[in-house]
Amino acid sequence: MNTSRWLVVAPLIALITALFTGPAWAVDRNVAGSLQLDYHLSPERSTPVGSGPTFRGFTTEAALKLTAEISEQASVNLKICIGCHGFETDMVHLDYRFADELNVRVGRFSPSFGAFNLRHDPANHRLSDKPLVYDMGRMLRVRDWNLGVLPSPFPDNGVEASGTHWFGSKTQLDYAAHLVSGFKGSTAGADLDFVQSRSGSLYYVDNNDQPAYGGRLALTERFSQNGDVTLGTSLMRGAFDPGAKLMYTITGADLTLRIDRTNLRIEYLMRRQDLDVSDPTRYRYEVPAKGGDSFVKHGGYAELELPVTASLDLVGRFDALFRSGNVLVDSPLQARSGIFRYTLGTAYSLRRGLRLKYSTELWSFSDTGYSGRNEAVSMHIGVATAF
Amino acid sequence: MKRTWALALVTMVTSASVLSACVKSSQRVRALGDGLDARTIPVEYRADYELFAQRCSKCHSLSRPLDNGRIEDRFWAGYVERMRRQPGSGIAPEEVPSILRFLHFYSTEVAADIEAKSEPKEVK
Repeated sequence: MNTSRWLVVAPLIALITALFTGPAWAVDRNVAGSLQLDYHLSPERSTPVGSGPTFRGFTTEAALKLTAEISEQASVNLKICIGCHGFETDMVHLDYRFADELNVRVGRFSPSFGAFNLRHDPANHRLSDKPLVYDMGRMLRVRDWNLGVLPSPFPDNGVEASGTHWFGSKTQLDYAAHLVSGFKGSTAGADLDFVQSRSGSLYYVDNNDQPAYGGRLALTERFSQNGDVTLGTSLMRGAFDPGAKLMYTITGADLTLRIDRTNLRIEYLMRRQDLDVSDPTRYRYEVPAKGGDSFVKHGGYAELELPVTASLDLVGRFDALFRSGNVLVDSPLQARSGIFRYTLGTAYSLRRGLRLKYSTELWSFSDTGYSGRNEAVSMHIGVATAF
Repeated sequence: MKRTWALALVTMVTSASVLSACVKSSQRVRALGDGLDARTIPVEYRADYELFAQRCSKCHSLSRPLDNGRIEDRFWAGYVERMRRQPGSGIAPEEVPSILRFLHFYSTEVAADIEAKSEPKEVK
């Protein structure tokens, strides 16, 4: 081994030795998991026949998570998922906690962003699908829109420093800052390529050497024994093309109000995205000499989760998603396009840890799309279990 | 035909009653919805349970801790500490002892159930 290799390896050995040698500590492990089977019924054919999956019918999402406490300060988490993409490594990371106020996470994980991602596991939310801004495939016209603003979860390789601090017994401050590989796209990028960004078959490595960065700040205030409110704001910014010239910036704000078991959640996300306009003929609208080299995708949701009995919950959600900016010539979208979605759903606990979900969605589109219609109805029926 | 329906109904009701009685007799603390029936929890642990249920159901199903199967106090101490440090958990440091008190009680119940089920049956 030459000197330069020792320069890398020696500090690593020293760090590992310092982290894991000390008072004897028995390794403690915990296994948890979830499974959801969902049937999505949609009479609308959102893409021409034979042009690709429409994410209707059955989808299964399953996850198995192992947590190992390897010392009083250090733990390792490994979570393997199976979903529409097949097997995925949702997380494999080491946490080292210096104090409540400083935890360092290294490995593969979803960087802190937004409120929804904290409960993205299907066993942790009452509806079968995600809010539109976080949608990863069950939205109608998914190909036209290239998913939501930030498809969740978004596992990535990198490092995150985070912490939590209580001011008295009523106020909790959470903060996090991360450096990760970031989303990927092609050189002539007109949008992020989410398959390239997350698929293990296309390698879990970055396509450029410029890390993406971001963070989250959230404040939780308890106003009664059974009531609290959380306000949060998040950011992500990075280059997505191999040349590291095209940038994306995602910002978000969220509010969560919880009184007893009733939850009101409001969240807004916005992504500003550079376009490669070196060949203006690829775009439908004229590219102005100044500006015109980006688009904005934004939207939000408001969701009310209301327990009716110990076993039955009612959920109402309103989603909005908008896109403004130039589009490729073959896109069914316009310079300004939008979607509204109205959802009513129920979740019924068949027994503890086993939940039956049903929801109906009414969609309203600004564009007629391939179906020639501006409205659509779809339904979800699913079973979810946590263990 | 009417007699067949009546017989089927009586059989169903009887079976349900017997099954229900079996479930009740084997479990001192009863399940209700996603959690437990607080009325079946001893009064001294009821407030601890309510706090546990309110805080822990904020992010995940209560079945995660309740059906975990772990009964060691040391395990729960580490588990609750990890959950307390989650962003927006709302679990204040001074609430941890109360949550652990409930989990200790519940673990004792689970251990008693396991022991009762594993006791050899007397053969007559």
